[in-house]
Amino acid sequence: MKQRSFVVAILLFSFTSLFAQEAKIFSVKSGKISFQSDAPFETIRASSNDVKGLLEIEKKLFAFKVRMESFDGFNSSLQKEHFNENYIESSKFPEATFNGKIIEDVDLTKDGNYTIRAKGNFTVHGISQERIIKSDVAVKNGKINIESAFSVLLDDHNIPIPKVVKDKLSSEINVKVNCELEPR
Amino acid sequence: MYKKFVVLIIAFVCAGHIVAQDLDLSKMLEEESSKEDKMRTNYTSATFKSTRLINGHSVETLGKGILDFRISHRFDKFSDGFYEMFGLDHAKMRIGLDYGLTDRFMFGLGRSTYEKQYDGFVKYKILRQTSGFKKMPVTVDVMASVMRRKDTAAIISELITNHALSVKDIPWSRKMYYCFQVIIARKFNESTSLQIMPTLIHNNIVKKASDPNNNIAIGIGGRQKISKRVSINGEYYYVLPAYKFEGTTNSLSFGVDIETGGHVFQLHLTNSTGMTERSFIAKTQKEGSQWSKGDINFGFNISRVFVIGKKKTQSKYKIAEGH
Repeated sequence: MKQRSFVVAILLFSFTSLFAQEAKIFSVKSGKISFQSDAPFETIRASSNDVKGLLEIEKKLFAFKVRMESFDGFNSSLQKEHFNENYIESSKFPEATFNGKIIEDVDLTKDGNYTIRAKGNFTVHGISQERIIKSDVAVKNGKINIESAFSVLLDDHNIPIPKVVKDKLSSEINVKVNCELEPR
Repeated sequence: MYKKFVVLIIAFVCAGHIVAQDLDLSKMLEEESSKEDKMRTNYTSATFKSTRLINGHSVETLGKGILDFRISHRFDKFSDGFYEMFGLDHAKMRIGLDYGLTDRFMFGLGRSTYEKQYDGFVKYKILRQTSGFKKMPVTVDVMASVMRRKDTAAIISELITNHALSVKDIPWSRKMYYCFQVIIARKFNESTSLQIMPTLIHNNIVKKASDPNNNIAIGIGGRQKISKRVSINGEYYYVLPAYKFEGTTNSLSFGVDIETGGHVFQLHLTNSTGMTERSFIAKTQKEGSQWSKGDINFGFNISRVFVIGKKKTQSKYKIAEGH
């Protein structure tokens, strides 16, 4: 009988410890990534709600990704096709990812607003760049909201701009991210 | 017994901790989304670069709200020699305007100098090639076109002499021609696509009493991309001998597609001079259209697309300004 209660205690302990482990990981419940190209002759905008992401708040590790084919908007369906077919090559490189670690020693278990720098590998078009991206993080009622704006140089990711669209496509793309995370 | 059980549980708990310590978030993310990936249906896009393969239709349709202005030229044959500058002194042309009403339905109008034809067509994508959750191996379109000859003098000389008819006996409906096509295409990979095109052409009037009113043909076409923006195409229409006009041959063409932004340039070599279905499928003349004798016409299609209807998603969408 004693032994049995011992087993139950261990089971309980293992469950709680597992649960505690889980609670440290937050995952994206809703997110939006949008980008904009401001060229002299054309402004191109597109966005995706298909954002996946995990954030571990104890070690401050994170992993985010977005499916390139999920981007919509653009100025025409043909432009979207060219985006996937000629520039991003979505069938070869289906995702953009950003994996890494938060530099600042912040306690994201406590409510508040923080400005952090996320350092990691940013991969688009199959090419990784080490980036430090500044983000605003708001923690409230056990939910984490991340807002971030940064730019991506097409040249950094081996996406050439053909001469004929030189004035229609900017070499620097502005990206905005907005995600809400909840405990996993 | 219990002791073993306890040890086992402790081992599991420890193992759990070890796994948790060796945290790989990107791997976890991968596992999470792989379930979703299995449930997703991916629609194949860009099987071909343009709505035309060379002379005939490809399986592609224009997107919603896209207007396509097309100019097509076919010069005369190389075998004409130096005096005719290897065919470049003369050309047949077609000027056309196509519009995408939905992402799967398009129509177009055109005018050809060849036999002074007007033509109109509708094309609808019935099935789309998919991979993933729902699998569909091919994209299937139906295309119907109507053509009308306006070269009255030629019709009179061609038809009246053969049929012993007077001009009054040729009402306008007699100058109408129809074409029905099913286009079945498959994109095998990023660079290789093939399509077959069973085709029926109906002629309201034909040259000789012995000529069939219907031409039945099987077309086959394909493309091979050689770079992101350049592909090599081929197109061949085999007309069933029982449904073939006397003195005609099959249409065979090769071409290159070059895509630059909103333009697609299609350069090709073909033994046909007409650019409507009845002209190149059924009326490519045996005399003077032999590849082996150098009766090859150089030609090009230029396509320029304009976006007419702004997409709704555009207005709904706004990036929050700031930073």
